[in-house]
Amino acid sequence: MKKMKHEEVEVQITPMLDMAFQLLTFFILTFRPMPTEGQFSMNLLPSSPSIDMAKTDKTTDATDSSETPAFLRTLTVQLKSNLDGSLAEMSIGENDFQSLEQLKTRLKEIVADKTLPFDQAVIQSDPGLRYEDLMRVIDVFAGPEVGITKLSFNEMSGV
Amino acid sequence: MGGSASGEIKAEPNMTPLLDVVFQLITFFMMVFKISGENYDQRVRLPVAGSARPVEGKPAEDRLILNIDGKGQLLWNGESLDIDRAMKELRTQSQLVRLNLKIQKKEVADGEPLPTTVVFRADKNVPFTQIYRYITACQTQGFVKFALKAMSGEG
Repeated sequence: MKKMKHEEVEVQITPMLDMAFQLLTFFILTFRPMPTEGQFSMNLLPSSPSIDMAKTDKTTDATDSSETPAFLRTLTVQLKSNLDGSLAEMSIGENDFQSLEQLKTRLKEIVADKTLPFDQAVIQSDPGLRYEDLMRVIDVFAGPEVGITKLSFNEMSGV
Repeated sequence: MGGSASGEIKAEPNMTPLLDVVFQLITFFMMVFKISGENYDQRVRLPVAGSARPVEGKPAEDRLILNIDGKGQLLWNGESLDIDRAMKELRTQSQLVRLNLKIQKKEVADGEPLPTTVVFRADKNVPFTQIYRYITACQTQGFVKFALKAMSGEG
């Protein structure tokens, strides 16, 4: 019979730790936390978007507004840009606004007025307007105070 | 003090908890690393919009992400495409979507809208006309669902 020999096996943990630290260093150095991205979702149909958009939402609301023709429920906002692409002026019908605050105030009035049927908007923009400024306008529309989330876009022909 | 003068003192710290922590850290960084490797181009500086809603839950599988740089060029697989190539690529993508749907037996006729969401990640300095050109091109190809990406806060 073989005699059992009690042998102690020592696992070398140091190389593994070295490697683990190297991996850790790599990941820490390459780590770039992703900033939180949000999004605005919208349905944009090819021709006369505002009218078709209403069709897609037929099932969601059966209020009296759905009986109003879509073009009457669509608010048109025009955005004019400066030469550098920044936002110069916004207008709704005859009213011109120089700042987003003014636009927001007017939109809040429109939304609060129950006699006005507007629940969607078409943003007509100058071709040169920077996306950043367009997004600021979209932000006003989609924000909690106004809440018009059905938007579509149009390009203003050259002035 | 306690040991004899000639005796060798062997200090063997217990490495196992340290190794555990290190592995946990590695796991964390590996998982975060994978997320940032998604189809998000770092060259695109998104505009800021406070009311842009973060995508809740798992994002829809069926989406086409378009990264558009400051010059209005489409960034596709790390390469920036000029307008002709970009339009060609959009056409190819819509054909692929249709083919995919056909394979899944959910065929969409030519005039019918496609269920795929086109996600726009456009640089904040792009003029509106460039964005609009891509939007209309996508609409012509049958895409109707759009999402405009923006940073949720100033951070």
